[in-house]
Amino acid sequence: MSLRYQIEYSTTNIYENEAEGAKWQFLLVPQHLPEQQLLKNTTVTSVPCVIYTGINAFGFETLMVSSRHSFTEFSLRCTFDILKEELNPFDLPMKDTDSQYQIINSHEFKVDHLSYIRSTSLTHYPSHQELGFKFDRAANILDNLIALNKHVHDLLEFQTMVTDVNTTLDMILHQKKGVCQDFTHLFCALARGNAIPCRYVSGYLHQGVGFTGELQMHAWAEALIPGTGWIGFDPTNNILTNHHHVKVCHGRDYRDCAPIKGVVYTSGTNSTSYNVQVITQQ
Amino acid sequence: MKLNTSHPIFSAYKKNPKLFDEIFNKNGEVKQIYTKLFELYGGLSVEDFVNLNDKAKASFFNQGITFQVYSEAKQKEKIFPFDLFPRIIAPDEWQTIEKGAIQRSKALNLFLWDIYHDKKILKQGIVPVSLLSSSVNYLDQMMDLDPPGGIYNHVSGTDLIKHSDGKYYVLEDNIRCPSGVSYVISNRTALKRALFGVFNHYRTHSVTDYAENLLDILESVKPHGVDQPTCVVLTPGMYNSAYYEHSYLAKSMGVELVEGRDLYVENNFVYMKTIKGPERVDVIYRRIDDHFLDPFEFMPDSSLGVPGLFSVYRQGNVCIVNAPGTGAADDKAIYTFMPEIIKYYLGEEPILNNVQTYHCSKPDQLQYVLENIPDLVVKPVDEAGGYGISIGNRLTKQQIQEVKDQIKANPRKYIAQPIMSLSVHATYIEDSHSFEQRHIDLRTFTLLGKDKEFVLKGGLTRVALQKGNLIVNSSQGGGSKDTWVLKK
Repeated sequence: MSLRYQIEYSTTNIYENEAEGAKWQFLLVPQHLPEQQLLKNTTVTSVPCVIYTGINAFGFETLMVSSRHSFTEFSLRCTFDILKEELNPFDLPMKDTDSQYQIINSHEFKVDHLSYIRSTSLTHYPSHQELGFKFDRAANILDNLIALNKHVHDLLEFQTMVTDVNTTLDMILHQKKGVCQDFTHLFCALARGNAIPCRYVSGYLHQGVGFTGELQMHAWAEALIPGTGWIGFDPTNNILTNHHHVKVCHGRDYRDCAPIKGVVYTSGTNSTSYNVQVITQQ
Repeated sequence: MKLNTSHPIFSAYKKNPKLFDEIFNKNGEVKQIYTKLFELYGGLSVEDFVNLNDKAKASFFNQGITFQVYSEAKQKEKIFPFDLFPRIIAPDEWQTIEKGAIQRSKALNLFLWDIYHDKKILKQGIVPVSLLSSSVNYLDQMMDLDPPGGIYNHVSGTDLIKHSDGKYYVLEDNIRCPSGVSYVISNRTALKRALFGVFNHYRTHSVTDYAENLLDILESVKPHGVDQPTCVVLTPGMYNSAYYEHSYLAKSMGVELVEGRDLYVENNFVYMKTIKGPERVDVIYRRIDDHFLDPFEFMPDSSLGVPGLFSVYRQGNVCIVNAPGTGAADDKAIYTFMPEIIKYYLGEEPILNNVQTYHCSKPDQLQYVLENIPDLVVKPVDEAGGYGISIGNRLTKQQIQEVKDQIKANPRKYIAQPIMSLSVHATYIEDSHSFEQRHIDLRTFTLLGKDKEFVLKGGLTRVALQKGNLIVNSSQGGGSKDTWVLKK
C-alpha cells in the first residue's frame, strides 16, 4: 500500500535591527529512497532570494538561500508532496545471532563504520557512569535494539522547553526529560556503546495516528544490523520507523542535521518560530 | 685551518666537545665549506657587526616582518630575530634531505587518501585505528571525497635536526598550514643587503623561486573543466601572527589576498567580490584552520570562513589547499608510524630517520617512559608551537613526579622520545657581543601537485637563542638564519 503526504514546513525569523543580507542552509528536502518518492517541491520566501540546491558534507541535498536585501523579517515556506510505500518490518533478511556478533566485533567492520561508532559531544555517554544498557549476547541484535528502544522510551519523559540543541547526555540523564532529539542522542550513545554503528536521522512524522512529537521536525535513529542493513528506531514513540516517517537526512548527531543554519548580517536579538504540518492525501 | 683567536668576533667562541658543531670539526678546525665564510666574517670587528646587526633588525621592522605570540596577555608585534651568520648545507647532504622530504610528503598523501577512502592501512592493523578514532582532526566530512588532483598535503613543512651522530632526523611533519617560508626569503634579502659581498664566494641556490612554484602547484589542482584557474590566498586577517607571510605570498604569486568576507558562494561556485563585479575562484590557498572554513559544516560561530564553501568543495567546483582533514596525519602519534607508512605505500625504506618514539598508550612502553623520565622528552601529541614539552634532564624531582602524574592521567595524550641533541651553530649573541654555540633545526618546504613536486632549496634554520635551550619555535623566543644550499 502506498500513502501520499503533503508536508508543509514554515519558519519565520524576526530581527530586532535591520539585517543587511543573509545566507542560509536548510536541510528540509525529503531524501529520495526506494520507498519514498518526492513528487513535488516548492519553496517561497518573503524576501527576494537566490535559491539553489547544494549538498552537505554527508551527501544530502540542501536548500541554499541567500539574500542581499535588507529586512527585519524573513520567512520561508516549503511544501513537499511525498509518496510513501508501506514496508513489512517482518520481511527483513536476518543473519543468525552468532554471525551478527562476529561481524560487529570484527576489526574491519569497526574501521568501516568508525564515523558512526565514535562518539560526538552530543552523543558522549558520561564517562563516570556505567553504560545504561548492555546487550544480551544470547539475543539477536534486532531484538536487543528493540529492547534498547523501549529502554530509552521508558527512561525519558517527553517534555518540551527543558532542553535545547546543545543539551548534553549528562544533563538529559540527570533530568530524565527531553524531546525527540534527546531520545535519539541517548539511543545513539547506547547503541554505539554496544559497538553498533548508529546514526541520527532528521525528518517528518505524520502524527495523525497519535504519535508523540511536536509541530517541528522529528528525529529518530538508524542502527546498522550486519546482514540486514540500516534499520530505523523511533525511541520517542517506542516503534520501528514506518511509512509515517519521512526521512530528510542523517548524520552523527543533531549538528549534522540541523534543519536551518544561517549567517545573518545584523546586530541585536532575533526570534525564530517554526511550524510543520504533515497531512495525508487520499 | 686552526681557529685563529685574533679574529675579534670569534675570540670568545667556546666549543663544547659534546655537541655537534656545524662549523668546526672534532679537532676544532673550520670545516671546508665554511672556511671562506669564516675568513670573511672573521675580518669584521665587533663594532662593524653590531652596526650591521642593527641595520638588519631595522630593515625587518620597517618591512613589517613581525609576528605575535598568542599566550602573552599584552599582544605585541615582535621581529623574528635574525642572525647574520648563515648556515651552509653541502650539495650531497641536501640531496638526501630533498629526496627524503619528497618521499615523506608522497607517503603522507597516500596515507590521507587511504584513511579517507578504503582505510586499508587501518584494516590491516599497520596503523592502529585508535590513533584516528580519538582524533578531532580526522574529519568525517572528508570521507570518500576526492580532492582535485588527488592531493591533500600540497604544502608540507618538515622539521629536521642533526643529532650528535651527524645524521638528520625528522622531528615532525607539518601538513595543515605550515608557515615560515616568507622568513626564508626575507632572511636571504636581509643578508644580501647587509653583506652582499659574501655571496660572491659561494654558488648558492636561489630561494626566490618558491612563489612561482607554489602558483604552479595551485594551478595544477584546478577543478575539472577549468582552463585558466583563479587562485587566491585566504587569510584570517591582519591580526594573525603570520599575516605578513600571507600578504607576501599573495603579492609574489600575483594573486589576490582575501578574507572570508571577500568571498561568497552562489549556485555552487565560489566568487570573489571585486570592483568589476563577481569573479569565480577556483583554487583557495587557505591559511585558516579546518574548523573555521565553513560555519555550515564546522564551527558555526566562525566568521573567518565562507558559508557554503564545503558544499562547493564536495561538488568538485573549488580546490582547498591544503585539503581539510590533513591534521589527522601530522599528529605526533601518527609520526611514530612514518617508517611503516612509507614502506606500506611506496615499498621503500625511509630516506630520513625518525626519532625512536615511545607511545604512552601502550602499557609496556608506558612503563618504560615512567621509569626513564630523566632521559626522555615527553610531548603531548596534539599541541603545536612547542607547548607542553617536558625535557627530562632539566626537571627537578618534584617536576618529574608531576609529569608522571600527567601521563598516568591521560596516557593517550603523550609520547616520549630520547633527548636528541640538536647540532649547534655559531650565532651572534647581542648580550655578549660575540659568537656562541646555539642549537638549530631546519624546516624544509615541500610542494606536491598533480604530477608535480618541488622542494625549496633552502629552508628555515631556527635557532634557540637562549643558551642550552633546545626549543627553537619562534613563539618560544627562537631566531633564524639564512640557509644556503650549495650548488654542485
